[in-house]
Amino acid sequence: MSRRPGTPMLEIKGLKAEVAGREILHGIDLDLGAGEVHAVMGPNGSGKSTLAGVLAGRETYRVTAGSVAYLGEDLLTLAPEKRAAKGLFLAFQYPVEIPGVGNLYFLRTALNALRRSRGEEELDAMDFLTLAREKMKLVGMDPALAHRSLNEGFSGGEKKRNEVLQMAVLEPRLAILDEIDSGLDIDALRAVADGVNALRGPDRALLVVTHYQRLLDYIRPDRVHVMAGGRIAASGGPELAHELEKKGYGWLQAEPPRAAEARP
Amino acid sequence: MTPAEQAFAEQLADGRPGGEPAFVRALREAGRETFLRVMLPTQKHEDWRFTSLAALSARRLGEVAPPPAGALQPELPPPPRLVFWNGHVDVRRTDLSGLPQGVRAGSLAAALRERPGAIEPLLGRLVGARDHAFGALNDALFRDGAFLELGDGTDCERPIHLVFVTTAAEPAAWHPRSLLVVGQGARGTVVESYRGQGLYLVNAVTEVALAEGASLEHDRIQEDDPGAFHMGRVEVAQSAASRWKGQSVALGAALARVEVRVLLRGEEAACDVHGLYVGAGRQVLDHLVHVDHASPRCASREIFKGILDGASRGVFAGRVHVRPGAQKTDASQVSSNLLLSDDAVADSRPQLEILADDVKCSHGGTVGQLGEEQLFYLRSRGIPEALARALLTWAFASEMVERVGPAEVRRRVRDAVRARLPGGELLMEAA
Repeated sequence: MSRRPGTPMLEIKGLKAEVAGREILHGIDLDLGAGEVHAVMGPNGSGKSTLAGVLAGRETYRVTAGSVAYLGEDLLTLAPEKRAAKGLFLAFQYPVEIPGVGNLYFLRTALNALRRSRGEEELDAMDFLTLAREKMKLVGMDPALAHRSLNEGFSGGEKKRNEVLQMAVLEPRLAILDEIDSGLDIDALRAVADGVNALRGPDRALLVVTHYQRLLDYIRPDRVHVMAGGRIAASGGPELAHELEKKGYGWLQAEPPRAAEARP
Repeated sequence: MTPAEQAFAEQLADGRPGGEPAFVRALREAGRETFLRVMLPTQKHEDWRFTSLAALSARRLGEVAPPPAGALQPELPPPPRLVFWNGHVDVRRTDLSGLPQGVRAGSLAAALRERPGAIEPLLGRLVGARDHAFGALNDALFRDGAFLELGDGTDCERPIHLVFVTTAAEPAAWHPRSLLVVGQGARGTVVESYRGQGLYLVNAVTEVALAEGASLEHDRIQEDDPGAFHMGRVEVAQSAASRWKGQSVALGAALARVEVRVLLRGEEAACDVHGLYVGAGRQVLDHLVHVDHASPRCASREIFKGILDGASRGVFAGRVHVRPGAQKTDASQVSSNLLLSDDAVADSRPQLEILADDVKCSHGGTVGQLGEEQLFYLRSRGIPEALARALLTWAFASEMVERVGPAEVRRRVRDAVRARLPGGELLMEAA
């Protein structure tokens, strides 16, 4: 059962967004409070990843209506790096390969950029390495990947672990996981989920975007939202995920939105 | 005649002081004759199609003056080093300590006086290029440069630095000439660096002879004045099983052309010809590489990368010639460019001429911009856009920098390249 502190961490109201002139999100409303974990489920093409991308500031999407407040501040006017500085993190569905940029070099650059923006002292190479080693152990990452180029030649599972490593080091307040489970076998899924769960806390929130209920056995959500056709078609408690597992997504188109129903 | 041609013609008429050995006089005379016949190339010339010499042609470039006292204090690499300044060896700044037994280094002019016999069979005879205006000018007008000999079997671990400094109060030109001789099975590293102040032309020719089984790493770092013209030519003749690893880093000058001509004349000789150029403003940075596979089972690897900002232009022309009978040749060529602005231009031109049938030759390359998805990924982690751009630009360049062998030279190249990259000052030291 979730607590609802005064101000939600994330308030999405009437959000519409388009890509290349085509509207993908047709008006999304979603509130996420501190300490909560919400899942966003839905079939392919329902707009889940677009929602995640809009929240992180991906420039290929254009917001045409609505608002997003993060910690009471207008999120949509902020550059991606400013969003990150304020504690927002997007775990990518397809983490990008960057040849020539060392994995830990990148991560130290990111951490120190965040620390600078918050007026904190930068970590030197030794302190950072100690921290990174500890977090790599936590997410079960092969130490050999530390000094390889960022994601270059990583397997699907290694890339996802690397996302979780970044999350563990950068310690975001709001993490959006975009299909972090795609392409993972059960062991990798468990490791990734453990890493994510280690980050849960009363001051943090998670928005877990996934196609499958399976992930939610490991990362237990407080609320589940189901997207279809660029809208939230249903919202409910964790049991909604199980319902979807049984019935599939086909019934969504037939029923009217249940977004306004009472919380469990 | 253009003003530049006029000035060169006058200098050619004056010639160089007498007393030189007959073969040098003959080389100079042939150079004079060639230059006056071909003059400076225009863009009608096949090798100069993408690179205009109009700005150079319009200048009357006099002879460089002796460097004034208290002029530019260049930061110098550690010894052993030879420093050449405005035409002559700079004795005060040259320091040859640390040369191992069997390695001789010094001024080419001095060696021509003292033991011309060691030079006569090599100078101007290793590779050559017919009717080459700048080569001809160098033949006719060079005064000094390095003469380096690595005796058979010597192993010179420390890099030997050749530093060429130009200071020009008035527009001026000079023509350094160096000869590097690497004996059988000998190994070494040579680093040429170029820098200066003012409006000048430095027109350098370096000839390299590699005996059987010899191995040389040869880096060339060009950081001339932003207003300068840089013409460089490296000619390499390789005997059997020798290895030459050359890298040209072109950062400075308004207009720079570096030509690398490699003759693989002995079986199983191999060369790596690498280049990195970083252009901004209206810079033109041009490389022409000619690899002549004259013998069987030789290998050549060319990798060139350019980063072009502003309205700069990068040119790469790579010619691979496989002679009849040069079977089992293995030649590859890759040229990639990163364009940081809409006005930057990259021209890349592979030319393969293959006259043997059992060979492996490939070429490829890309011209592109920084990846939007990569930029977004970095920014989404809190890295400011300018730093994200610098990181990605450096990532593109670093592959070439990491290929520089000796650590101290690599550090120096890294600093020099980073200093030229937009946002390079934002990059932190690698862990």
